Amino acid sequence: MRDKDKRVNSYLAVISLCLLMFFSSIFPDLALAANVSQAELQKIEKQWQTSAHALAEVNCSSCHQNEETKAFVAKPTEESCKSCHENSVDTFLLGKHGIRTLEGLSPLTPAMAHLPMKDDSLNRQMNCNTCHDEHTANTYQASVDSCLTCHADNHSLNYQSSPHAEVFRKIGTLARPNSDSVTCATCHLPRTVSGDTVLVNHNNTYTLKPRDRMVKEVCMNCHGVEHSYNSIFDDELVEANFARPPTQKLQTFQLVRDLEKKRSGKGS
Amino acid sequence: MARNVRRSFRLSTLFSSKFAIILSMLIAVIWLGTAFALDRHDIFLPGETSNGHVLFETSCKSCHESFKPVSNDTCNRCHEPEMAKDIHGAKKFRDPRWAELRENIDVLTCTACHREHEHMFDRGVNLQPDLCMACHQGVIEGDLASHNSFKPDGCWTGGCHNFHDHRSISTGFIRKNLDQPWILPNPELPNRVVETILETAPDADLNKEFLVEEG
Repeated sequence: MRDKDKRVNSYLAVISLCLLMFFSSIFPDLALAANVSQAELQKIEKQWQTSAHALAEVNCSSCHQNEETKAFVAKPTEESCKSCHENSVDTFLLGKHGIRTLEGLSPLTPAMAHLPMKDDSLNRQMNCNTCHDEHTANTYQASVDSCLTCHADNHSLNYQSSPHAEVFRKIGTLARPNSDSVTCATCHLPRTVSGDTVLVNHNNTYTLKPRDRMVKEVCMNCHGVEHSYNSIFDDELVEANFARPPTQKLQTFQLVRDLEKKRSGKGS
Repeated sequence: MARNVRRSFRLSTLFSSKFAIILSMLIAVIWLGTAFALDRHDIFLPGETSNGHVLFETSCKSCHESFKPVSNDTCNRCHEPEMAKDIHGAKKFRDPRWAELRENIDVLTCTACHREHEHMFDRGVNLQPDLCMACHQGVIEGDLASHNSFKPDGCWTGGCHNFHDHRSISTGFIRKNLDQPWILPNPELPNRVVETILETAPDADLNKEFLVEEG
């Protein structure tokens, strides 16, 4: 009899453990809510109060409460961000960072990447708040520091010692990178003008290939066409994160110069 | 001696055609069954997946609807923004002047040049790199001869031309921008302006909800 009781007890334990795992998987909010202490909550409140969100009347309930059912949402997803930042989320989902989420797979992690990534970042899942601190909504941090949390290839690591980073450092800490800053995001998440608003294209793959797309979309906001092409098609210079002026002279420009000469010769 | 004969006889029955067929079918059923049960769709991949697509290669339904061929609509689900200014697009080739050239390469069908799960030269293109010569042979020899002595496979692999969008690499664009200084007179990116409604931050409207389990 005793043995039977023991067996029943162990069955019950296994069943209740399974139930607990099941419910915590469908209601992750329960587990998370229990983890927030009063002190942490105060810290979060302070972060939020100094954010642009607070001044734009985006309060806790805007993200942490279901609009229809009024149920508490402990961990809002990109769907929540999308209710205001539609373009940012939609474009994020089209790039390598977001495509797995769009296709209904588990979010991308640095462990799946082909480029070198930092060892302690390998299991981080890509969603909005992987790069954006959701409570400070500080885009200054998201423009470089967040990228370097994971990316460990030479181009990324060389950013801090590049002339672009020097420009960014001189500007100092602002709420967001201004129009003179050149950050990782400047080139890889380019700003696009749409009517009266300036949007940030969060498709991180968009300007990567072909490289001339970055020239037109980004480089030529500040640099001449020859400097841009001679730099971006120099693999070594790209790896060095544009640490020096380009040395190559692409034949393309000579061809166009010859053509100009030919035409003006004909005209005279 | 007798024992050896018996053993070889047994082995031959083991590999008799009937048995081999049943065994291989059984293995195939178990293999496919396990793949479905474990959601391991990667075993159905017919070849290497291109860079980018490799990230969701196990989600077959992202591009394939049963056994129907992949259509332009499939590709445009994600690639529409990149194709917004497609220079080699429908507008050009539906024009009778150029329509005949579609017989050389069916340029209005994405999969004419971009076939997934096959060897790709670069940029997801699986046609030979001299594909431009299907229509533009005159550029390197003959009537136009603007690029005499250039190799037929270097147009895009050399980084100069982009089939779909040549707005920033066309002769006109380069002529217009030739001899610009390395840094432009007004280097500036579009500025982002955040419009706020309040002057001071309000109080948080949720609080105790985060502490539900503790209270």
